Amino acid sequence: MNELHEQFIDEARELIHQATDDLIAVEREGFARERIDRVFRAFHTLKGSAGVVDLPAMGLTLHAAEDLLAAIHAGKLNASPSVIDQALNCLDQVARWVDNFEVGGALPPSAGEDARSMAATLRSLLSERAVTETAEKSAQGSSAPPAEGLLPKWVSRLIESQQGRIVDATREAPAQLFAFSYEPDGQCFFNGDDPLNLIRKIPRLLAFHAEGRETWPPIADLDPFACNLRLQGISAASHAELAGTFRLVPDQVRMVEVPLKAYRPDHARSAGDDDRAGLVRAVIGEQRQVLRAADQGDDMIGRIGAVSRAAANALRYGGLQDLVDAIERANVAALSERNAGHLLSALDHAQASLPGDLSTVAPGAALVSASADGRVEEAERPASHALRVDEGKIDALINLAGELIVAKTGISHLARRLQEELEDRELAGAVRREHDAIERLAGEMHAAILQLRMVPFAQVFRSFPRLVRDMAQRLEKKVRLVTNGETAEADKVIVDRLFEPLLHLVRNALDHGIESPQQRRSAGKAEGATVTMAASRAGDRLIIEVIDDGRGIDPAIVRRRARERGVIGDDELAALPDDQVIDLIFSAGFSTAAEVSDISGRGVGMDVVRTTVERIGGRVSVISRVGAGTTVRLDLPVNIAMSRIMVVSAGGQVFGIPMDAVTETVRLTPDRISRIKNNDGFVLRDRIVPICSLAELMKLPQARSHGSESRLMVVTDVSGKVIALEIDAIDDRLEVVLKPMQGLLSNARGYAGTTLLGDGRVLLVLDLKEILP
Amino acid sequence: MSVRRGEDGTAIILDGNCTVEEAEPLLQLLQATPTASLDWRQCTHLHTAVLQVILAARPPLIGPCGDAWVQRWVTSNAV
Repeated sequence: MNELHEQFIDEARELIHQATDDLIAVEREGFARERIDRVFRAFHTLKGSAGVVDLPAMGLTLHAAEDLLAAIHAGKLNASPSVIDQALNCLDQVARWVDNFEVGGALPPSAGEDARSMAATLRSLLSERAVTETAEKSAQGSSAPPAEGLLPKWVSRLIESQQGRIVDATREAPAQLFAFSYEPDGQCFFNGDDPLNLIRKIPRLLAFHAEGRETWPPIADLDPFACNLRLQGISAASHAELAGTFRLVPDQVRMVEVPLKAYRPDHARSAGDDDRAGLVRAVIGEQRQVLRAADQGDDMIGRIGAVSRAAANALRYGGLQDLVDAIERANVAALSERNAGHLLSALDHAQASLPGDLSTVAPGAALVSASADGRVEEAERPASHALRVDEGKIDALINLAGELIVAKTGISHLARRLQEELEDRELAGAVRREHDAIERLAGEMHAAILQLRMVPFAQVFRSFPRLVRDMAQRLEKKVRLVTNGETAEADKVIVDRLFEPLLHLVRNALDHGIESPQQRRSAGKAEGATVTMAASRAGDRLIIEVIDDGRGIDPAIVRRRARERGVIGDDELAALPDDQVIDLIFSAGFSTAAEVSDISGRGVGMDVVRTTVERIGGRVSVISRVGAGTTVRLDLPVNIAMSRIMVVSAGGQVFGIPMDAVTETVRLTPDRISRIKNNDGFVLRDRIVPICSLAELMKLPQARSHGSESRLMVVTDVSGKVIALEIDAIDDRLEVVLKPMQGLLSNARGYAGTTLLGDGRVLLVLDLKEILP
Repeated sequence: MSVRRGEDGTAIILDGNCTVEEAEPLLQLLQATPTASLDWRQCTHLHTAVLQVILAARPPLIGPCGDAWVQRWVTSNAV
């Protein structure tokens, strides 16, 4: 898989994510031009990229989806749940294809068929709407040209009344115009308002019209103190400027964006041509990007081939055969001389020769990401300042910094020797000062490297809007998800590990916490429930809360269930106050759902949440009020802690032992060891210490039989129990980042975690509490 | 007085700053003589309420309006 493909996969996933988020937001919060714009751009870019990596099926589907979005964007189609559903389905399909492409470098054989049927479904949504629209139009007998058909009538009328002036005023710089319709409050004259004064203040006014809201009464009946005016106009001021002017009367004003083609007849070409030219331009622009992105490298030949193929196809689609020929000639030249320059200049030439208003496309400008009908935007892609670095490399860096901290203690030892043995006070002082400087630097470096691992919480939260939407639909509940604190950061390991517990908590909230709309109504609550996910930093802790406003947890039910399941002894249960009783939901084998549903899954309880969170050094607590809702709070460390470990070998393997458990190391001659019952032991400061062989504990072959050699012991103190662990050798002492066990090993017992050694080896760190008898 | 009957008794004259206070006297004058024309050449500022009376009654206007903004934007389109 070449770099271009990898880049495509990363980018596609990012775009799919973003479009999904925006679509759900549109569904939840209603139509917002800005959002639809973003979704449209995401689909458009995806389509362009699919062309670059030669995935026509994906392009076909996305093209259909793009048409649908363009219709929504233009106000021709409502963003109804069924439309959003289809758009989301399309994204799902594309995401699956991206997965296929990553694994096999191609789409599955069924892709073409799937693409056609999905495109047909998407288009059927469009045509349904188109049919009703035509019917409406003929009913109204409207003969408005299509470009203006999407605009409210009053806007078209305003444009007509002042078209000459508007065209003149925008000839130099085509502008985004806004039309406003202001209906001042009937009582406004009594409040001392002069609505016309607001209009007078509007900058760059291009058209104005005043009329009566209601037909004017006979003059004898006119009430001069009741305002019955409607004041409408068009301005080239920005939306913000207009909103500022009308800030005190936002409820009385409507604003409508006026697209370029609505007031510039020369821009109102047929939509098909626009789309075609825009597409060609976008594809050519993207090819230039691809080519410029890397002008060296092994895959240059492949890149030239892909770029010229995509560009030629686009130009052919645009009916520009002479440019196609030029591109193909440049391709041959570029390939034979292994120089992309030929192709690049051919692309530049093609772009410059494209019909339409190209003067606005700056050379080298990034993607042109919308069609050319006034929505053209040159999305100057911000240069990415982010680096993708393999996690392991950062961990190695952290451990090296840790080792540096350990190594610097050697310098302080050196200073002491200088003073004591050589009695060179001056030199000792100088060495000590150097030591202090190194210590400070090593500390700062360590902190800075730890910072590299910090990722914002947004990564976890972003999957939830979709999940909540789907779950709520399936459960037939109305749920709104609110997320706060996406910018709060924590170590990557912690953030990654939180997805599952959070998913479980949110599922629980939706399934068990939130009532059906009927139940909520009869409880006097709003039908729509709210689930809030909030992340925040409190010092060096990260607090995450999952809050629902559902039925709450009834302590009586928890008590009954706990008794039935034997989660806790009866006496103990009776003694527990209510607020502690609900903590029992985290106990193993507890589930309050009357039946297991497919949402919350089977057999996985809240105990898993607690276990997972505790494994990364966190705590879980729950607060609930019957009828009012439940808050589950996760209190987590922001950083994975640095642990000091001793690296030892036993049975031919290397292990880490947490230093906080080690009290001392001793070398024992055989005569000091005595057999006590079935076990070896020895006396250490008047205390009998049992000996355990680490190799034996880890079920490894014993290194050697105990002859007359002395044996090496690490004396450990684990929650007050002193045990000597026999090992073969002590290799090192380190300060490391302990990572929780992951993947298949995440359930392995006996290990506190893993760490990467400076030389790249993985070290298993033992959890003495688990392995010692 | 910003609203008054002209000397010849037919035209109604708006003069100077026409505030919300002028809306009712203007309406009364227009009701009394529905065919009278309105001379707003001397009007320096027209309040919305006054404009509303003019829009509703649509008297023949003697212009140009002294309020430049109104002359620019209102007379060409609305009145």
